[in-house]
Amino acid sequence: MGQILLISLKTDTNNDLSITIKGGRNMSSSSIVLHHFLFLLLIVCHLTSVSSWKKDEFRNCNQTPFCKRARSRKPQHCKLIATDVRIEDGELTAKLMNPQENLDENSLIISLSVYQNGILRMKIDEDPVQNPPKKRFQVPDVVLPEFQSKKLWLQRYTKDGDSFSVYLFDGYEAVVKSDSFEVFVREQSSGKRVLSFNSHGLFDFEQLRVKKEGDEWEERFRSHTDSRPYGPQSISFDVSFYGADFVYGIPEHATSLALKPTNGPGIEESEPYRLFNLDVFEYLHESPFGLYGSIPLMLSHGKSHGTSGFFWLNAAEMQIDVLGSGWDAESSILLPDQKRIDTLWMSEAGIVDAFFFIGPKPKDVVKQYASVTGTSAMPQLFATGYHQCRWNYRDEEDVKNVDSKFDEHDIPYDVLWLDIEHTDGKRYFTWDKALFPNPEEMQKDLASRGRRMVTIVDPHIKRDDNYHIHKEASKNGYYVKDATGKDFDGWCWPGSSSYIDMVNPEIRSWWADKFSYTEYVGSTPSLYIWNDMNEPSVFNGPEVTMPRDALHYGNVEHRELHNAYGYYFHMATSEGLVKREGGKDRPFVLSRAFFPGTQRYGTVWTGDNIAEWEHLRVSVPMILTLGLTGITFSGADVGGFFGNPETELLVRWYQVAAYLPFFRGHAHHDTKRREPWLFGEHNTELIRDAIRVRYTFLPYFYTLFREANMTGVPVARPLWMEFPYDEATFNNDEAFMVGNALLVQGVYTRGAKDVTVYLPRDHTWYDLKTGTAYKGGHAQKMEVTDADIPVFQRSGTIIPRKDRFRRSTLQMENDPYTLVIAVDSSGAAEGEVYIDDGKSYEFKQGAYIHRRFIFSDGKLTSVNLAAASSTSSFVSDCTIERIILLGYSSKTKSVRIEPSNHATDVELGPLQIRSGVRSSALTIRKPNVRISDDWTIRLL
Amino acid sequence: MKINTSIFSFLVLSSTLFLRSISISSNDLLGVAPQDELYYKGLWSSGKVKCKDGSKTFTKSQLNDDFCDCFDGTDEPGTSACPTGKFYCRNAGYSPLIVFSSRINDGICDCCDGSDEYDGKTTCKNTCWEAGKVARVELMEKIEIFQKGVAIRKHEIEQAKVSLAQDEAELSKLKNEEKVLKGIVQQLKEHKERIEKAVEKERIQKEKEEKQKKEAEESESKNKVEEKVDVEEQAPVKNNDDEAAILDNYSSGQNLKEVPAELAVDVVKNDHVSLENGEKHDPVDEEVSEVVHGSEHNTGLGSKGEDATKDFESLSREDLGREIGSRWTGKKTDQEHNVNDAKNDFETSGYVHDEENNEYDTETDEDHQHYDDATEAHMDGVGDEANEESSASYNYDPDDDMDMLDMETESSPSWFEKIQRTVRNILQTVNPFQTPVDISEAENIQKEYDEASTKLSKLKSKISRLTKKLGNDFGPEKEFYSLYGQCFESKQNKYVYKVCPFKQATQEEGYSTTRLGKWEKFEESYNVMLFSNGDNCWNGPDRSLKVRLRCGLKIEVADIDEPSRCEYAATLTTPALCLEGKLKELEDELGKQPRLHDEL
Repeated sequence: MGQILLISLKTDTNNDLSITIKGGRNMSSSSIVLHHFLFLLLIVCHLTSVSSWKKDEFRNCNQTPFCKRARSRKPQHCKLIATDVRIEDGELTAKLMNPQENLDENSLIISLSVYQNGILRMKIDEDPVQNPPKKRFQVPDVVLPEFQSKKLWLQRYTKDGDSFSVYLFDGYEAVVKSDSFEVFVREQSSGKRVLSFNSHGLFDFEQLRVKKEGDEWEERFRSHTDSRPYGPQSISFDVSFYGADFVYGIPEHATSLALKPTNGPGIEESEPYRLFNLDVFEYLHESPFGLYGSIPLMLSHGKSHGTSGFFWLNAAEMQIDVLGSGWDAESSILLPDQKRIDTLWMSEAGIVDAFFFIGPKPKDVVKQYASVTGTSAMPQLFATGYHQCRWNYRDEEDVKNVDSKFDEHDIPYDVLWLDIEHTDGKRYFTWDKALFPNPEEMQKDLASRGRRMVTIVDPHIKRDDNYHIHKEASKNGYYVKDATGKDFDGWCWPGSSSYIDMVNPEIRSWWADKFSYTEYVGSTPSLYIWNDMNEPSVFNGPEVTMPRDALHYGNVEHRELHNAYGYYFHMATSEGLVKREGGKDRPFVLSRAFFPGTQRYGTVWTGDNIAEWEHLRVSVPMILTLGLTGITFSGADVGGFFGNPETELLVRWYQVAAYLPFFRGHAHHDTKRREPWLFGEHNTELIRDAIRVRYTFLPYFYTLFREANMTGVPVARPLWMEFPYDEATFNNDEAFMVGNALLVQGVYTRGAKDVTVYLPRDHTWYDLKTGTAYKGGHAQKMEVTDADIPVFQRSGTIIPRKDRFRRSTLQMENDPYTLVIAVDSSGAAEGEVYIDDGKSYEFKQGAYIHRRFIFSDGKLTSVNLAAASSTSSFVSDCTIERIILLGYSSKTKSVRIEPSNHATDVELGPLQIRSGVRSSALTIRKPNVRISDDWTIRLL
Repeated sequence: MKINTSIFSFLVLSSTLFLRSISISSNDLLGVAPQDELYYKGLWSSGKVKCKDGSKTFTKSQLNDDFCDCFDGTDEPGTSACPTGKFYCRNAGYSPLIVFSSRINDGICDCCDGSDEYDGKTTCKNTCWEAGKVARVELMEKIEIFQKGVAIRKHEIEQAKVSLAQDEAELSKLKNEEKVLKGIVQQLKEHKERIEKAVEKERIQKEKEEKQKKEAEESESKNKVEEKVDVEEQAPVKNNDDEAAILDNYSSGQNLKEVPAELAVDVVKNDHVSLENGEKHDPVDEEVSEVVHGSEHNTGLGSKGEDATKDFESLSREDLGREIGSRWTGKKTDQEHNVNDAKNDFETSGYVHDEENNEYDTETDEDHQHYDDATEAHMDGVGDEANEESSASYNYDPDDDMDMLDMETESSPSWFEKIQRTVRNILQTVNPFQTPVDISEAENIQKEYDEASTKLSKLKSKISRLTKKLGNDFGPEKEFYSLYGQCFESKQNKYVYKVCPFKQATQEEGYSTTRLGKWEKFEESYNVMLFSNGDNCWNGPDRSLKVRLRCGLKIEVADIDEPSRCEYAATLTTPALCLEGKLKELEDELGKQPRLHDEL
């Protein structure tokens, strides 16, 4: 027995353990050894479960040949020059070649096109006349079709020495420098640069070639071999952001909002930011490691220029270095004397399809990006409420019980979720008959109280001949193939599984049909969908995902589109929900993996986080970054997926998450139950309050979702987006703005008695609970209790609320509004409200109410913002029951309302109707004007 | 606040007197509970009333005007304007109900009389009469059960008092016997030692004579002795506490090493338990070794501890998939389970041990039956119904009471007298100073000493176990005494749940048993039985079970659930919970209901 022990221990590198056992071996009794061994084994089990990050299972840059190669290159590596510069099809094109080599070989084609509102698109690909062995993959279905219509047809260029410049935007031009090759955007008048490409000569493009004898193209990682039939084909280049104090973006990483340098003097052993969609077990905070989704969009912001952006549309593995200042000290490159942040971009495959966004304001960049990849879909109103999830609500009784407990405790919620265990053996679109014998009745029962249900549907399909989805998919050849051309067979929840090839539109359409009520037996119109594991997660694949040499529709290698796989799956599912209701019902699909364009199809969450304070803390920059890069409807699992949150952490998490766009509580099945009422009466009240606050602000959130839907400006915003001139906000990611009016400061530490809040300058800020006014411009220490986190309304804004509590959003439909006006120093304020039916696409035909409220000179006016001519209309009988004025000093006792010409009282009233809130503010009592009407209210 | 309370009590006292004399339509007081109506009367007399929390006052026109003036919702009992408001539905024909203000005009009928939906957008059917009828029938059934249950409970309590008195008498008797037996053992011991000394003297004498002859052989035999000691030393290492205790009893006042060879053999024999136990452990050991083997073959799929260093290269692709997937599920394949099981077995081997113990005792101890009979006798009359009709209940031999099986309750005087007599005889006849020592007499003493020691140690454990039993909390009126020594089963899907009050609760699936908890205590003033420190869950807590007790005529376990991971819940019906006070409450409640004949 002792021997067996020792052998087994050799597989364990835990030195402590093996030493102890060696000691144990000398004991005379084997049973003692055994006893000790078991004991130690248990200890080890316990310890490793605490930190289970499996670094070894994932490649670092050094183990990733293209990354290692690119990182080792020195500035001025690129020897290309641009020749044959001309205007063709309204674009500036040129050939890139190495003058020292045969001119006709290995040349690349570059084309620059210009789009409305300050967007430059640059493509670099192999020259088709040279007949490369394979067409390199260019990601389809991401750039909006209508983007093409925004193209400005270039007529001519201006030549100045070896520089060719074209018009880009009012006051901006794009320049191609021929030798040495460089592309940049600059202000026309000052010549100040905004963005530049290849200024350090790190551009490298590995062209496809035919395999020659002796070429070793295979790559091995752990037990996996990547056949790499097309050999090296990576691309790398440097991009510089001028006038930048910080750079942001490129999710998904669990890091700070402002990206820290990853390479350069004094930065040791740091990895580049990796963009490779992976299912990471218990991910770490503060790590550049790539998580579930990828958006290769970086924004820069600085005091001198403002904001700019760079987006590389490429779905292969990408690695991005933010270079610390002085990284290029040894090179002789001279760049204009402007503050600058340099970055290095590396990708394994694809082409250069890059977009330069000139800004110059933060919202300009997100709008420019949105004009390329689209704005967020308009969510249904219910989806903006609170979601209750757990892996797993076991059975119908469990569902019924959880649902009724919300009512028992008068806590509103809108959606109850079912994780994988609801299915019959992880066969999606089926139900476990023993646990969920009557799924339709269950959903209808929830729906009778206005509640929806979400079930999970993942892309791995159980290889089971009795499973209809598998039968059809294998028969029709709808699966992703392995390198040999057979259906790829990987391991996931159901065991042996294959993966639907969603890149093919025909397959997407087939998949979408699976969501019809006849195909998805047991589904009802109140059922929506959750797409998990769509990185894709393959338990026995390299780095827990699909081998890079797997083949997709059109002979595209998985390496070329890996990061877009989940996007296509999300797209197909979302289209399925649209289809099932004949295009009348807005879909709701939550996805874990994402890619540029995901915002058009649904919601994302930050995956399997941990019940730790640091994970609550990092969820804020993660969600803000998603918002900056187009995906505004995002959130993190409240409470943390893995582990049991201490009660205080859970409460704080609810308090912060209530102000973030997607608000869902979720937990791993090994955790203790943590529904809001399980932590004693006091904590139930705190959590109820947090959720209720969210519901009171839903009219404001919904208005912001509409703004995001129209413009691309996110719901939750970094402070610098609203206050781009205030340097103190640039790397603040503890606080965030909801719209332009609410500033939310999270509490991220245990037992906090106070918290330091920075309130941006040039504004007055009103504490949401006390009404206390604070002057902005410096960090201030504020006392906090467990009751809530500091939230402030900015002066000059008007926020619509609904202060009545209901079971769910549905019952709030007819409830009256409260307007909260916080006047600025000139006594003025403005705000908006957007209302529609909350579910259909009728708003696209004009069936909505959109009002602007303007307060000035003691007069509040409601102005129509809706388009004048519309084919459809939306009617609401809702009135305004209360108007609260903050910062308005007046002894007025009444108001006169026009056009009805009636008067009503002004008195002191509560700022929020919550027990324990004893603040009072000037309140217009029962103006009872309709939300949809034009009216004016004059303070007398 | 103080003022409010006095107003309130005044109101309660006088509400019926005054209310009818003032003409206030029920519409005005929408959502107000009858006992509160007088409070609002002030609006009609003085025009103003304070919010109940005293924060401000409101006027008649502000009552139910759909605008929240009072923080506590006093001014809006009938609308949804105040978040903290409460709405009173009369629900004539059934029980009145107070609902949250969030339910008013929300499109959902919450009150059976539909009074919460009055804005004309939703039509509610009045279902109070039917609901009331059902509730009244249920209430009457419940009362009937309580009436019977109260009687059974009384009987049980009387029975328990008798049984407890018997137990206590038994205990004091045992203690007396122990005292006497201790003396005997001591006498025998002294006697034995004297003989041994004599024998030793003779031996030394002999040795001297043979010393020169057998030097070589002697060294050889010495080695043998050492080996033997080694073997004996191992036994206690394997044993756990119980056995150690038994050994302790044996060696009390004696160092094990000093025990002469023959006696040592006896120790081992008498300590059958420990041997058996050792054997019993073997399968566990094998299981463990299998785990280790398994880890080798499958590169340790089973345990998370090995994840970090796992040699993925050697995994089959399927195993790799399983392995990675198991991180999320915690289903660490069967091997992990085994490790846990093994661990549990190891930690809780007391249980395995006890069962072994049972077998041993059953085989060897004819007195076993006595105790069983006695136990059943206790049960008789305690609740015939409970015992006979509940197929899912049975008596267990309270684990640690096994040694009580040879309690020989009735026959004990005989063996006790016998042993006393025998010892007297021996002590009289054997002459320790006689040389050479009479070997047969010495053996006789040895035998008697062994027997008496065994009896004494058994007696000691009997005493400790009976003491332990009596140390249990059987409830304020000892109404739970009858549950001692019984188990109750409930089958649910593939699992059989077994609840043994004062002992433990388990979940059985085929041959595998998971312990949900060890008996801990009653909670919530004897309304809940708590079993805790059960088998550990992977990545989770130790299992525990809360059994909620309810009045019922039969003792039955039901509604087993796992509301939170590894935290189980169940209900147990028992007459012990059929309290007279509660019966009175129910009868009062029925009295308040509309009479049944009204419905007919």
